[in-house]
Amino acid sequence: MSQHEPSRSFFYRNQFLIYRLFSLSGLIPVGAFLVVHLLTNASVLGGAGAFQSRVDMIHSLGPLLVPIEWAFIFLPMLFHATVGFVIIAGGLPNVGSYPYVGNIRYTLQRATGMIAFVFIIWHIMHLHWLGTPFGGGKFDPHHATSSAATALQPLGISLLYAIGVLSAVFHFANGLWTLGITWGLWTSPAAMRRASYLSIGVGVLLGAAGLGALGGMRSTNVEQARAIETRMEDVKHMLDGQGGAGNAPAAGTALELPQLKLTPPLP
Amino acid sequence: MSRSHASAGTSGADGHASPTAGTTVHVRVLRQDAPAQESYWERHDVPYEPNMNVISVLQRIAAAARAKDGRRVAPVAWDCNCLEEVCGSCTMLVNGRTRMACTALVDKLLEENPEEIELKPMSKFPVVRDLVVDRGRVFRALERVQAWVPVDGSYDHGPGPRISPEQQEDAYPLSTCMSCGCCLEACPQFTKIEVHQRSGESVEQLAQRRDEAYDDGFVGAHAISQAVLFNNHPTGKMIADERMTALTAPGGIQMCGNAQNCVAVCPKQIPLTRSIARAGRAATVWAIKKLFDR
Repeated sequence: MSQHEPSRSFFYRNQFLIYRLFSLSGLIPVGAFLVVHLLTNASVLGGAGAFQSRVDMIHSLGPLLVPIEWAFIFLPMLFHATVGFVIIAGGLPNVGSYPYVGNIRYTLQRATGMIAFVFIIWHIMHLHWLGTPFGGGKFDPHHATSSAATALQPLGISLLYAIGVLSAVFHFANGLWTLGITWGLWTSPAAMRRASYLSIGVGVLLGAAGLGALGGMRSTNVEQARAIETRMEDVKHMLDGQGGAGNAPAAGTALELPQLKLTPPLP
Repeated sequence: MSRSHASAGTSGADGHASPTAGTTVHVRVLRQDAPAQESYWERHDVPYEPNMNVISVLQRIAAAARAKDGRRVAPVAWDCNCLEEVCGSCTMLVNGRTRMACTALVDKLLEENPEEIELKPMSKFPVVRDLVVDRGRVFRALERVQAWVPVDGSYDHGPGPRISPEQQEDAYPLSTCMSCGCCLEACPQFTKIEVHQRSGESVEQLAQRRDEAYDDGFVGAHAISQAVLFNNHPTGKMIADERMTALTAPGGIQMCGNAQNCVAVCPKQIPLTRSIARAGRAATVWAIKKLFDR
């Protein structure tokens, strides 16, 4: 129906579709990943073993992990960020003249989006193996808690993480609320109010999980954590080795595994 | 009485500065002599009268045609018509905020800021002169979404369908929109588009180029709300698909950034966020339908 000349950019011609995909990608998969990521990290509050077993579960994907990471995390995030920057560039924030709550949230949504973008790139360089060539990549999936705890020990680093995590959480929680308007999930003022309670609840829980994970990592005794991780790895190797040989002994060892996890070495 | 201080009407026993007759209202106006020219500030002093509004202040300024420093100046130009907040023509920035000049009461403005009243033209529309702007884009947006009930024809269509009282109650607030443009002025997603006449360009060519430029931009909260109004009207919904096509075209509803300034500044308190959410829902359904029905 558009009478515009066909020389228009692809982005312009498919604006509605792209903006809706942008909105959706903020929830699935990017937002969903944020939830899983922060809750996984918060499991460190249950001890180094609890976190390690979750990391092991993720890494049990083996060679599938990298394509899954790119398809469901990195590329959707890059798409969301690219469109996000286009949206930010097209807007003209005016909280000075119109300091209403909705307008402040509009401005914060853009500010936290940009902070989260910079933070996530730095965070990947810092901990993910992709950052190894740049002197980062400090996370070791075989020693999940101890390597993360060591990397997060400097107070400045932890503060940057707190800012980055809280920005991402605000961006997600507030985005959840605006997504409901964009897609028409909540249309009446009463429904919007209920939705804002939901968004605040999600934001507070995720913020607590994120900060809890950070605090849990920082208060970890690295030596103890390393000992637990080493033992868990030994058991894994043992299981792998015996699993190939026969099933009877493997079943016996498997029974002992929970016991091992429940008894961290005490000082 | 002092003639140099708006609040010189003395603070009463309640400590509240209330101006009285004989005091002066200081006004600062952002003027512009013609489109595409530089704007400049000009100060005016107006004798205070009870129950003044910004329009009557502007009338006094026009009558005096003198700036504060005594220079003779051309009267400040402004737009107004009904003077009762239903025509939507006197929108301007009063103390930095978009509103109707006719319902901007001087007593209330001096409570906010006793020093002066600041008047600026709307910032999202091309200035014609002083406080007069070209709000043509507001009406172009209504054309884009066909904000009307299509009943033109050469024969009698008979009586229209009945509308239930519930539907009427739902539609009435939306129908009070007066196209003042406040929602657009306050919207951080709605940015100014100004097209100037090129040398040798005819008025028709200019109008066409201007409409094309407007059609690239965000359609705005008022047009989304009007599309919702007419898509829920039993006769108006006959062209609902055409309105949905317009709402999902470039510059359509997807440009909304959910700042919700529109609903906060609307002089008619139209539930614009509800309209936007409803249009968003309709767009979701419509896009899915289009995807599977083609």
